[in-house]
Amino acid sequence: MASTMSERPPFLTGTPLRVLVGLVLVVNGMFPALWILFTSLKAENELMLKPITWLPHAPTLANYLRAFTDQPLLLFLFNSFMVAILSTALTLFISVLAAYALARLHIRGRDLILSAIIAVSTFPLVTLLVPLFEIMRTLGLLNTWTSLVLPYTVLSLPVCTLILVSFFEGIPRDLENSAMIDGCTRLGALFKIVVPLSAPGVFTAGILAFVNSWDEFLLALSFNSNPQLRTLPVGITLYQGEFAFPWPVISAALVVGIVPVAVLIVIFQERVVSGLTSGGIKG
Amino acid sequence: MAVASNTSPMIRKSESASQWWTRWLDPSERTLAVLLLLPAALLLSLIIVYPVVRLVWTSFQNLSLTSGVPAKFSGLENYALMLEDPIFWEATWNTVLITLITVPGALVFGLALALMANLPFKRKWPVRLSLLIPWALPLSFAGLIFAWFFHSEYGVVNDILRRVGISGIIWFNSAGWAFAAICLTIIWKTSSFMALIILAGLQTIPRSLYEAADVDGAGRLRQFFEITLPLLKPAIVVALIFRTITALQTFDIPFTMTRGGPGTSTSTLAMYIHQNTVDFLDLGYGSALAVVMFAISMCVTTVYLRMIRTKG
Repeated sequence: MASTMSERPPFLTGTPLRVLVGLVLVVNGMFPALWILFTSLKAENELMLKPITWLPHAPTLANYLRAFTDQPLLLFLFNSFMVAILSTALTLFISVLAAYALARLHIRGRDLILSAIIAVSTFPLVTLLVPLFEIMRTLGLLNTWTSLVLPYTVLSLPVCTLILVSFFEGIPRDLENSAMIDGCTRLGALFKIVVPLSAPGVFTAGILAFVNSWDEFLLALSFNSNPQLRTLPVGITLYQGEFAFPWPVISAALVVGIVPVAVLIVIFQERVVSGLTSGGIKG
Repeated sequence: MAVASNTSPMIRKSESASQWWTRWLDPSERTLAVLLLLPAALLLSLIIVYPVVRLVWTSFQNLSLTSGVPAKFSGLENYALMLEDPIFWEATWNTVLITLITVPGALVFGLALALMANLPFKRKWPVRLSLLIPWALPLSFAGLIFAWFFHSEYGVVNDILRRVGISGIIWFNSAGWAFAAICLTIIWKTSSFMALIILAGLQTIPRSLYEAADVDGAGRLRQFFEITLPLLKPAIVVALIFRTITALQTFDIPFTMTRGGPGTSTSTLAMYIHQNTVDFLDLGYGSALAVVMFAISMCVTTVYLRMIRTKG
């Protein structure tokens, strides 16, 4: 085995070439975010220089100060956080129950239900803009977090359920059975044995649900016309300067919006990759 | 039974109450399955099933919230109107074009990224993060960032072009350049997801296959086309179909980059639905547009489900 490996001619394994390829990958992935970070640190007069500067000459946090004072950026952040956290919690609760039923209980039409879940995962929520708008209006939910939490839950429900089904199926039934012999109910066994043992899966599903909610734009733009209820993407997009689009402030606000998700991704990168590749949906 | 008749009614009552409790907490498997699936079913009914029915119904109605006239059944009038609406055709054409350009574009670019990321790097995390950050970046943020990239005076794209001697493309003033900028942005944003899926596929290909091919004297290029690509096919198919469905719904990036401009030259079907519904409050017409989009998506989903079944 070792001898065949060493006979295999090296392909792009020379260190300089590999470093170059790695650099291409990193620049491709990071450059847009880095560029907006540089922009946000430049003073307004530096941004008007031609030819443009790349690295900020005199880094300043003035744009950040303005981003938080010109517009209620903190409120947008809060709205985004609350909507994302509430919909993640609701998604996890509902998908844990459904996934347990699908993974453990004998259900007629199980395959049909799984197909339906995959179909829902590809469902274009855009097309339901009119009826959802009317439903939210009728229920008096326009301009509330709830009008976003409910559809976002549906957005993430399929992928979370599929991830959890595969995790639950990997947990030995004996553990559950012995807990039930010890007097635990089936539901008790679910929450005391199965969910804790599937913690990585629950976590992965939760991160995907959070990112889905954090990113959503169209429904947030359509349902909450009240500026006080705007989420971050909508709030930043609708920033209006007096004459032109206020790029310095926008770039600072974008950095503020990127940081929370970037932190999440940096800490849990391996989980996210495994979740995406096992039942990933978003493009 | 004899025991029960000896006990006082008080105790009997509490016993049956506790039985009721245990039955509720530990129901038969079938009841439990129904109970566990119920929340999901209720939510899906409220957010998907009922709205779909209502959507189709509204599409046959003359319902505009600005006119103040109550909803009136109008048959196929909205659909007839659509056929004669040049903006509808333009938006649909743009959507189809975006799908035809950005889906293969993201596939080719994503495949290249995946092949690069699959090299034996000493540290894996910078590469992994470089694929994850574009995926996690909200589409609307990507649109805004790239709008700044393509800014005609202060954008980095024109700065780089100026350095190599090309000057003065005003990206968002012409339909063609604006459309190109939008497609490039979408390809950048979506290729990293493609790459992640393809990379996972690459890592399942056993090394021994390549070693055997080496022994047989097959070159790198031949190995790529005869081992790598065929074995990647399932991963690629899944990624392509999800990407196609999301491409048909394109909204965030053109909205944040151009708002559909100049004129309506870069507006998509999703943007036109949004405009009719939220800006014009013409719910009837908005619904008819959505039904068309729904039909297109359904076709793609059906193909997808069929492919998954034949695969499994």
